[in-house]
Amino acid sequence: MTYETEKLINCSEFEEFLTDYLDNNLDRQTHKQVAAHALLCPLCHALLNEVKDAVKICHEISAPKTSFVKLEARILSMTAPQTAMACADFEEHLTDYLDGFLPAPVFHRWERHAVLCEKCTDLPGEVVRSIAACYTYKMDELPIPAGLHAKILQATIGTEKAQNVRASWTLNWIEWIRGLSFPISIPQFAPVAMIMIFAVLIFSQTVSADGSISGMYQKSFELAGQTYKQGADVVLGGETIKQKLNQESVNGTFVNDEEEKR
Amino acid sequence: MEALKATATINGAELVRRCRAGDGAAWEEIVTTFSRRIFNLAYRFTSSTEAAEDLTQEVFIRIYRTLDQYDAKQGDLANWLMRLARNLVIDDYRHRQRNPQNSFADDVEDHTFHLHAVGSSAQKDLERREMAKQVQEAIDKLPMDLRTCVILRDIEELTYQEIVDVLKIPEGTVKSRINRGRIELAKILRRMKVVSM
Repeated sequence: MTYETEKLINCSEFEEFLTDYLDNNLDRQTHKQVAAHALLCPLCHALLNEVKDAVKICHEISAPKTSFVKLEARILSMTAPQTAMACADFEEHLTDYLDGFLPAPVFHRWERHAVLCEKCTDLPGEVVRSIAACYTYKMDELPIPAGLHAKILQATIGTEKAQNVRASWTLNWIEWIRGLSFPISIPQFAPVAMIMIFAVLIFSQTVSADGSISGMYQKSFELAGQTYKQGADVVLGGETIKQKLNQESVNGTFVNDEEEKR
Repeated sequence: MEALKATATINGAELVRRCRAGDGAAWEEIVTTFSRRIFNLAYRFTSSTEAAEDLTQEVFIRIYRTLDQYDAKQGDLANWLMRLARNLVIDDYRHRQRNPQNSFADDVEDHTFHLHAVGSSAQKDLERREMAKQVQEAIDKLPMDLRTCVILRDIEELTYQEIVDVLKIPEGTVKSRINRGRIELAKILRRMKVVSM
């Protein structure tokens, strides 16, 4: 108890510490002493409450409710009326404002007009609400009238029972082929492909007698075999050569008449 | 919304291939998937269920005849189909505006009972119906050029470039018409006390 009494402060000390107490700038021990004194002394308690109220009122006065945008707009409209925006311009820029595409100088002039002009001040909100009404309207889609599907099917495929209309095998196959994409995806390769096709066609048509590549190889083998036999006959005797020369020539070869006379 | 979800899952190229081959079931699938969307698009321009029904049927006949022109490489089926539908509906709308005796905008009130909201209370349902009716009435009051742009932008949710492609007018004109259309719509809805502060 003695200890507690020793720690108490008097009224003049209370007043001295009051501001720091309200600003929470006292050390813990002193703060406790000031609080204890306020509880014990009714005069100092009343003083504390008065000061608290006064500080609160001062804060309210220093932060006025008036919008600075409106104040700024009023000042500018009186001092620099040339920067004000006309109602027609305000409406013209409304969608750009909502889309966020207004450049900064126009943006500020637009906002100032929105604050000051009584005729236009509600318009942006109303436009936003009407857009929202359109979206709501969109969500409430009308159902399809009864019988419309049947009418459409009758008008297009000639029957309401679409399940009975089957695709023919041939048409299915044709559509499947149609759906395939050409393997050469780079257009520059198309002329090269065409040249190659022509080269193969010309080569096969001119070299082979029957117009096919396989025929060309077959004839080549026959010619090679015949040449081999002729060479073998030369080794064996002249009569055989004459006999063989009378044979029909293979396509792509010729028989030398002078050699035959000899 | 169910139709929108369904369109995302179907294989458009395969469906069209089967349709071209003469498969009735494939064509029926296309009709069921897209008919509601196209019907609603037509209704927004005609404000009449009968006219929207006829227009939807015409659109599908045209789609059926032009299926050969669909190329899967140039976009999915939903985009191609809706682009075609939009062009036809707008052409029809322009034609009717030039010939006012063909106008159908007379039965908005009679047909709004079709609007429904699954899972909402009766009161909310009623409010939404009323709201939808008023929005359609307000849209009907817009001039033709503004109305087209507002529907395409704020209901069909097309981009500016897509609207340019559909209407074949400069982007600046599209933006200006959307802006003017929105303001006019907001003013009409304010007079109707649908939107107010």
